[in-house]
Amino acid sequence: MPFATAHTVSLHGALGHLIDVQADVSPGQVGTTLVGRPDASLNEARDRCRMAIVNSNLEWPATRRITILLSPADLLKRGTHFDLAIAVAVLAAAGKLPRLALEATAFIGELTLDGGLRSVPGVLPMVLAAAERGVRRVFVPEPQALEAAMAPGMAVLGMRSLAQVVAELRGEEVPEAAPVAPMSGSRLLSWRGSQRLEEVDLADLVGMADARYAVEVAAAGGHHLMLSGPKGSGKTSIAERIPSILPDLTSEESLELTAIHSLAGALEPGDGMLVRPPFSAPHHDASKASLLGGGSGQVRPGELSRAHGGVLFLDEFPLFRTDVIEALRQPLESGEVTVARRDESVRLPARGMLVLACNPCPCGDYSPQAPANACTCPEVKRRDYRSRITGPVADRIDIVRHLAPLRPHDRSDRFGVHESSAQVRERVELARARQAARYAGESWRLNSQAPGPLLRERWPLPDEAQRLVDDHVYAGRLTQRGATRVHRLAWTVADLQGVDPPGHEQVDAAVRLRTGAPLLLTTLERRAG
Amino acid sequence: MTGVERDRLARVALGRLAEPGDPRFAGLVAEMGAVELVDSLIGQRDLGGVLVDIEGRVDAVGPERELERAARAGIRFVIPSDEEWPRQLDDLAATEPLQNRCGVPFGLWVKGPLRLDELAHSVAVVGSRSATSYGADVAADLAAVVARAGHPVVSGAAFGIDQAAHRGALAVGGRTVAVLACGVDRAYPMAHKTLLDHLGAEGAVVSEVPMGCSPTRLRFLARNRLIAALTRGTVVVEAAVRSGALNTANWAGRLNRVLLGVPGPVTSAPSQGVHQLIRNGAATLVTSGAEVLELVGGAGDHLVEEPRARTRPRDRLSLRDQQVLDAVPVAHGARADSIARTAGLGLLEVRSALTRLQRAGLVEAGEAGWRLAALAHT
Repeated sequence: MPFATAHTVSLHGALGHLIDVQADVSPGQVGTTLVGRPDASLNEARDRCRMAIVNSNLEWPATRRITILLSPADLLKRGTHFDLAIAVAVLAAAGKLPRLALEATAFIGELTLDGGLRSVPGVLPMVLAAAERGVRRVFVPEPQALEAAMAPGMAVLGMRSLAQVVAELRGEEVPEAAPVAPMSGSRLLSWRGSQRLEEVDLADLVGMADARYAVEVAAAGGHHLMLSGPKGSGKTSIAERIPSILPDLTSEESLELTAIHSLAGALEPGDGMLVRPPFSAPHHDASKASLLGGGSGQVRPGELSRAHGGVLFLDEFPLFRTDVIEALRQPLESGEVTVARRDESVRLPARGMLVLACNPCPCGDYSPQAPANACTCPEVKRRDYRSRITGPVADRIDIVRHLAPLRPHDRSDRFGVHESSAQVRERVELARARQAARYAGESWRLNSQAPGPLLRERWPLPDEAQRLVDDHVYAGRLTQRGATRVHRLAWTVADLQGVDPPGHEQVDAAVRLRTGAPLLLTTLERRAG
Repeated sequence: MTGVERDRLARVALGRLAEPGDPRFAGLVAEMGAVELVDSLIGQRDLGGVLVDIEGRVDAVGPERELERAARAGIRFVIPSDEEWPRQLDDLAATEPLQNRCGVPFGLWVKGPLRLDELAHSVAVVGSRSATSYGADVAADLAAVVARAGHPVVSGAAFGIDQAAHRGALAVGGRTVAVLACGVDRAYPMAHKTLLDHLGAEGAVVSEVPMGCSPTRLRFLARNRLIAALTRGTVVVEAAVRSGALNTANWAGRLNRVLLGVPGPVTSAPSQGVHQLIRNGAATLVTSGAEVLELVGGAGDHLVEEPRARTRPRDRLSLRDQQVLDAVPVAHGARADSIARTAGLGLLEVRSALTRLQRAGLVEAGEAGWRLAALAHT
């Protein structure tokens, strides 16, 4: 029977489908057809595969009719990583390879004309999807073997050329091959900004007791945070230190994040699994596609997904385009981004902390603490700027903090808080462990993700504490939605202090965090001691 | 033994015998002197019914021993006849009691290099322990500005505003003094031991209560009168409606010291007491260290410039010229007669005004007529 099947994976966002590449080599009109909804780059695979086979000193069945089907046939397929599976299927159909060797095996990689195996983006999510569908062995380009090996329980074979793959499948000795040039566009710079972030620490900052506590609570409960304050009040400095107080990603998050980065082609060969929470700070000119994901052809994950499990920092938040801000709303609620296309709808995980920063006015100097009358903004502009701060996204922010500019004597204060990130992270980890224990068996892990009605029913506030919340609602200082956020925040404050359930003091702190009122010093000290 | 030394010993003994600020003892000392009072009390002679209260303490009196122990710990006992004595405390002699506490202290235990007679121009920064980060920031800020201007800062040693005030003053290398309700050798609260050690080494820690004594509610009330009396003015930063800081504020009012209050959000409970003081007219509202200096410093020493908006070119125009300028269109030019109609002024006057405005760079003449120049938009 001149027919063989090889497996590979087609990616739709982070979701992978196992694809059967079926090749039939039989008599008929000479030619090669590729069916099963291939896109343009995939259609070119016929030529790449033919030349790769010929130049690998193997025989292309040139006198037969070759039909290649990518099955399931209704799924749109794109990308160049199908090459290896196609070549292998054709060779097996022509009887050059034992068909049995193709079982429970997936092939991923782009072929060069001389038979070399080139890296492709998204290897990890592909291998993960394959593993889920019962594949036990996978052939990948050699530079990406490490990445593929992150998938648990998978035998990974990193190969440099088609000849090596064929030899391995035949059970012969694998021949030498020259290394293939790395994926285009990777690491042009030896130093990257992200490395700087690995070295920042909360201990670098002076003063800001209030903001320190706010980021600690935000990190512990996964709460979204808004920092406002004039220029030079340290909004960016404290925001970029939030990842340093977040615990390592869970193995699930870590896989998801690594898969997203692999998809974005942002994973370096030597990177290994991403275990530290990411920090992503797009500029306010960013387009909707770059923030949420999209692009032409293969859907690329946006900054929101690349901050999965970490921090998405939007500096100068009111300057972002309104449609971009609006588009953030749905992902913030659901924890995933949906990019709808004509033919498909792609979903990408996006469960990160949102940190917004804004100035009091466009020029950033409107503050009694700033040098006298430094602000040059007309009142109209100030009002316009402020009106952008309130909106559907700002409404989903749990914690609001106003920062004051650093004063000269803050730097020489010997009795201030100078805790390091490691010290704070210890408390954050403890608080997260308490949440994990409480929410064991639920679909969420953090207070910020707990559904409001369930929270009120199963983890209510004591009467006295609930009365305090109600008082604020009646006084018009909290909306009903705000009350739910206070409820969640109160639990996080309590988890940080080791109190169960939250009482009057914790609710008071939560109300202050939510409404932007200054915190009581007793709350700050309780944390330190 | 000199009279001064006998007086000192007697006052040490009195500190052991009496609770601080007891009005009866204040009267007795003023009447018969410390030495005679102590002699009578130790001789079991009852005076004004005080012996019944203090009989149990008589055996514990050992002033020589106490002074010796203090000297070893670097602690001194300052009495009114000393050169170092802060004269402003004598104002307490003529002041009515508050919460049944009053009077000039018998003497002050002092630890630290700062001399008490340097406190004549000092400023007290007080507030409640249940303060907010806002209050702490403001207190530190005020204290830093005041201390930088050379005024010593006086406060307690509690959490919250007290601590913030010391930190602010220390951060600018200023002088700062903590007045305690317990012995100066004790650290209360314990968490402020490093702060108190620091003050003891570079500023001063002061108390009228003998060494080793613990703080009680009554001793805090007595201590508050010292903070108010030692200083030229008292700034209350955050104080809830029932707080010790308001007691200090009352003393400041009674002693005719300057009383200042820092406002907070009207929704904030810790600011309520301060707002009350300001509303009653007891305290003057201040928002910065500079404003505090203006009120506690010598007359005209630290005048504060009123905050005002930037002056713009059009602010300097005469009323009529402004009227004309308002009538000049922004984009499309207009002729002088149309501007005159809009402004409601005579054509001749408008013409001359336009020429003046053109010279000032506020309007420009185009082909279509007059319109505003870029300068007029600033």
